[in-house]
Amino acid sequence: MEIRHGTAVSPGIAIGPAVVLDTEGVHIPHRTAPPEQLDHEVARLNRALDEVAAAVRADRDRMTARLGREFGNIFSAQESAIIALRHQLENRIRSDRYSAEYAVSRVIRDFVKRLEDVAALQQGEAAVEVRRRATEFIGIERQVLAALLGHPTDPFANLPEPVVVLANDLMPSDTADFSPRTVRAFATESGGPTSHTAILAGALDIPAVVGVGRFLTDVSGGDTVIVDGTEGVVIIDPDDATLVRYEAKRAELLARPDRYEALRDKPSVTDDGVPIRLLGNIELAQEAAHCLDRGAEGVGLYRTEFLYLNKASHPTEEEHYAAYCAVLNTLGPNRPLVIRTLDLGADKFASASGAAVNEKNPFLGLRSVRLCLDRTELFRTQLRAILRAAVHGDLRIMFPMISTVTELRHCNAILRAVMEDLEDAGIPFKRDVPVGTMIEVPSAALIADVLAREVDFFSLGTNDLVQYTLAADRNNEHVANLYNPVDPAVLRLIRAVVRAAKGANIEVNVCGEMSGEPLYVPLLVGLGVRQLSATPRKIPEIKRVIRDLKVAEAERVAEHALSLETGRQVTNYLRDYLRKLLPSEAVD
Amino acid sequence: MTGRASANGPGREGTAPTGPGARPEPPPPAGPHRRTIRIVNPLGLHMRIADRFQRAAKRYTCVVTVWNGDARADGKNVMDLLMLVALPGAEVVLEVDGPDAPDAVDPLTEILSSPGGEDYTI
Repeated sequence: MEIRHGTAVSPGIAIGPAVVLDTEGVHIPHRTAPPEQLDHEVARLNRALDEVAAAVRADRDRMTARLGREFGNIFSAQESAIIALRHQLENRIRSDRYSAEYAVSRVIRDFVKRLEDVAALQQGEAAVEVRRRATEFIGIERQVLAALLGHPTDPFANLPEPVVVLANDLMPSDTADFSPRTVRAFATESGGPTSHTAILAGALDIPAVVGVGRFLTDVSGGDTVIVDGTEGVVIIDPDDATLVRYEAKRAELLARPDRYEALRDKPSVTDDGVPIRLLGNIELAQEAAHCLDRGAEGVGLYRTEFLYLNKASHPTEEEHYAAYCAVLNTLGPNRPLVIRTLDLGADKFASASGAAVNEKNPFLGLRSVRLCLDRTELFRTQLRAILRAAVHGDLRIMFPMISTVTELRHCNAILRAVMEDLEDAGIPFKRDVPVGTMIEVPSAALIADVLAREVDFFSLGTNDLVQYTLAADRNNEHVANLYNPVDPAVLRLIRAVVRAAKGANIEVNVCGEMSGEPLYVPLLVGLGVRQLSATPRKIPEIKRVIRDLKVAEAERVAEHALSLETGRQVTNYLRDYLRKLLPSEAVD
Repeated sequence: MTGRASANGPGREGTAPTGPGARPEPPPPAGPHRRTIRIVNPLGLHMRIADRFQRAAKRYTCVVTVWNGDARADGKNVMDLLMLVALPGAEVVLEVDGPDAPDAVDPLTEILSSPGGEDYTI
């Protein structure tokens, strides 16, 4: 038994067999190909098969020389299998318009499936032998996909049960396919609490510990591992007593969300009958389902950065379109989906068209909508996809990081130009898509009345608003004490924004982490906010507070909070209030 | 050696015209030749045996089919043969049909009925 400590980034306890990642996963980029490209796909397939066959022949020769023909022929047989597959793969590409990658995967997985079905009917040695054959096919699939894609393949394919993933670090593209069905938890040697991997783990509800330091050499794939994402502990090969203790702890944690289960289908309405709309924040299309599971009425913030990160090239219009349609598909035609356009800093933005800009002060630099206005071709691609997808549901566009009205007008002008292009090309799209702006720069909050005339809604991005207002990075331990979402300066800005929205009769949403904290809910409602968008997992807790709250009382809370002089006083006051409101809950 | 039943095969079926080994000349082909063969290789009809079999089958123009119960495989396709999932103890039926079927049936039977044979030459 080995016990290691790291940074807890996503709560919960998981116990399961380890998968140690030493390579990056491979994703099949497109399932289908347009008809005119099928010849090209077949040619790619044949090149890849030739390449693998040549590699297999070389292995055969080497193994025959070393161990004799009996073993060398293992590779002869593989080569024959590859040759035998060629015809069938070509057929699937042509008849089903599959991409070369998808044809390979589909055809081989069908074989594997059939073998597994047979294995399930066998016992003992026979079952083992049939499963072994299935893994041989998977080996062939990996080789061919690697030849097609130029890098190693998905290590999560064909896992018999959900696993605990251990890695030095995880790329966003690795974690993009994680789901609680395949991955119980993960732990990484490097990484910090603000890494995208950490954010994603929280979003996907997968327990995670990062920054554990070197430990991978102590683990083998299949070892039992405990990840305690609440305490930041990783236990490799636990003894029986530890296992029993953690199983009990896990069962206890799992029982807790049930307190909120009963709330899921109850309306989000205050005790005195004012509806507060609750929406979910998502990063991945598949999280839309989590929102609905937790009782959200839609998606209030779809962060689209994952479409861009860790890619050799920028996402195509079709990739955007497919992702947006996937979310709308989950939500149905009437639940809102607010898509935030690209919000990456130039520092994170490995451009396909050139090196990332080197900035001395990236948070005050070319980021987010500024980058979009600088590289309009990227922006247009995304806007086209949004406008097209909007035909299928209640989709809304939101521009991030707007700091002047000129920027906002500029964005709207590009949006109109994109509409004209679509119209000229005869491509179906929705013209009256609601357009909103994030309010996350103090200048925008101060001119909210001007901005309100140009948009259909506001969304307060409190994380950036707090950091820009107080000029403090909360990840910098030396100044993190300055960062407080309820600092009087921030409260005044929020009040100004809500008033401006009310004056222009537009909606105002709060979508920062602040809206996911029960502590701040009475204050926000009291300030006049009627819509909150939070991490799906937080929604039941928020609803619990809302249902016990009276608006008139919340307004008094907000008024008193605004009269206080320091952030600390406001925090203490809100804490006391919440204790009174929910005496049975532990408030910290 | 025409007409000699495989050491492991329980015998011939159908209209195979081959008789006891004493007969001096094979009669003209008439319909498919069939043999029932018990798989004795400890790994069953595995990838290398399937490969060896299809390589041998491809030397003949006749149609080569292998049955395992209801499952049918083109004897010239290694994936087809593997998907028969013929495990040790399985009884498969070999069927060869075509002008050179009488020449093909024995060597192909030999491959399926052998307990080893992984060190074949390609």
